[in-house]
Amino acid sequence: MSVENDIVIQTHDLKKHYVMGTETVRALRGVDVSIQRNEYIAIMGPSGSGKSTLMNLIGCLDTPTSGEYVLNGQPVQDLDDDELARIRNREIGFVFQTFNLLPRASALHNVELPLIYAGVSSRERVGRAKAALEQVDLADRMDHKPNELSGGQRQRVAIARALVNGPSIILADEPTGNLDSVTSEEIMTVFDALHDAGQTIIMVTHEPHITAHAARVITLRDGMIESHDAPRAVGAETV
Amino acid sequence: MKILEGIRIALQQIWAHKLKSVFTLIGVIIGITFLIAVITIVEGMNRYVQDDFAGAIFGVNTFTVVRRSQIQTGSESEERRRQQLRNPYLSMHDVEVVRRAVPDAWRFSYSVDRGFSRVSYNERSRKNIRVIGGSDGYEAMQGWDIAEGRGLSPLDERRSLKVAVVGAEIAEKLFPDESPVGKRIRLGSTRLEIVGVWERQGGLLGVIRDASVLVPISTYRETMAWRRDRIEEIQVKSNSTEEMRAAMLEVEGALRRDRKLRPGQENNFWLQTSSELLGTWEKINKILFAALPGLVSVSLIVGGIVIMNIMLLSVAGRIREIGVRKALGARRRDILFQFLAESSTLSVAGAAIGIGFGIGLGKTVDALTPLPASVPMWSIVVSLILGLVVGVGSGIYPAYRAAKQDPIVALRYE
Repeated sequence: MSVENDIVIQTHDLKKHYVMGTETVRALRGVDVSIQRNEYIAIMGPSGSGKSTLMNLIGCLDTPTSGEYVLNGQPVQDLDDDELARIRNREIGFVFQTFNLLPRASALHNVELPLIYAGVSSRERVGRAKAALEQVDLADRMDHKPNELSGGQRQRVAIARALVNGPSIILADEPTGNLDSVTSEEIMTVFDALHDAGQTIIMVTHEPHITAHAARVITLRDGMIESHDAPRAVGAETV
Repeated sequence: MKILEGIRIALQQIWAHKLKSVFTLIGVIIGITFLIAVITIVEGMNRYVQDDFAGAIFGVNTFTVVRRSQIQTGSESEERRRQQLRNPYLSMHDVEVVRRAVPDAWRFSYSVDRGFSRVSYNERSRKNIRVIGGSDGYEAMQGWDIAEGRGLSPLDERRSLKVAVVGAEIAEKLFPDESPVGKRIRLGSTRLEIVGVWERQGGLLGVIRDASVLVPISTYRETMAWRRDRIEEIQVKSNSTEEMRAAMLEVEGALRRDRKLRPGQENNFWLQTSSELLGTWEKINKILFAALPGLVSVSLIVGGIVIMNIMLLSVAGRIREIGVRKALGARRRDILFQFLAESSTLSVAGAAIGIGFGIGLGKTVDALTPLPASVPMWSIVVSLILGLVVGVGSGIYPAYRAAKQDPIVALRYE
């Protein structure tokens, strides 16, 4: 397998401008990122650095003002809303800070959601959703609603939901931001296990000890990449 | 599948907020209840009129000669109505003219009658009965079968015997514990011996048979008639519709000749058939069915507006959910269908409740009044389709608002 084939995300001169009234905010000012399969990447940066904008673009929730973005061999910068929805469904597994589970639905149904939009038959859906929940050790909580689960359990349901459609990347936005440190470590252990199993993980965070789990840290500042680094030693100590 | 998701959510919400749902759906429920109830009763009447009513009053292939039209169709002019009031009363002479005009008629009879009479036996009495003086053959003409005793015979008429056949209701009222046959009832100043009782007709128009007393026409004319020479009705029954039409022409011609009417002059008598009666009913029917859509659509529109508001609230309260669904791969149309399915499920559920209430109302009316009720299948189908239309109509704008949400904004929405 050639090196090019192993690249899952490739951006070139990615720019995003927002027009706010009479002012134009240059949120991203030309970002080049290349991420290989099974990489574990942390994206850091102070607020206003363009971190969220980059995450939205990588997550195909938004399209760039200019530049190129190739996801899993497919250029996605010019796709329309519905095509982006399909890409999100197949290629990206989101994990959010606030879990974003449907409150009235069971854990199982929450995990089934991406499969519903993928058009998977109901029988296959249940099987795959159960398998994903087993992967995050929640086989015994399948029928529980989110409010019957702890924060850590909720985030594990969200991770199962991100995994269930076999995405190219898992995109986690501050996944431990709402969790205490013990639970945070528990969740990070899940991500580590997924990474070991071959999953590509991109994590947006501002907590140094979280970045310690990543193999590479991309730091943004003022809409540009400030550095590509290995995680700092300070993070490694906490492991 | 995605539509199922919408239906599932809608059912969950209806179930979780039962009372609120009833208020949400009240417009649709009332509209559909009303629709079903009216159609049920009108259809019941319709079927009844077509199957029983016309036959019960006139019989098949039967026409009657009367002085003036007894059916107010509303279409005839005041002038004509007044003119009919000047028509001469029918007499025994007319009976003979008609009889000679249709010698081949299957059945022939004539009668006089009066309503609102009272019969009594000892202390018991029954008001509002109809007394009929019928010629020989009147019972056969009407198709009234005897349940007990015997019918009137030619001998009764020839001898003007003071005998009577009574309807089932009268028999029950005056003789709850014994057989009426052979008993003598009092009708005004006349005493009549009951010789027979007819089978019960029942139903809305059962009053015509069940609350009637029939005496020989000769007896009636001699003992009860105010004007002895008057005949109310001459009945002619043919074997087929064609024969009836031909017979009607014969009778019309014979009467006109006998009364020396000039060409161009209006008939000063009236020929009445069951189709005339059916025509009147159809007119009433048409008016009811013309007024119905207006009344129903008002409540359905109100119901639709309420559902639309509830759906707008529902969308506003679930912006974040929409964001999540979009992030997970829901396209615009998936969100659109989800909310359309939700509003349609709500509305169809309202229609289903309305159908239940409507049928219940129809059955109640059927049980408590003589009005018959029958729920036609098509009215249920129409109601469900209307429910669906209201659901889609009221859901389209909220669903569109939901579908066009930007996932980034929606995900951050608090």
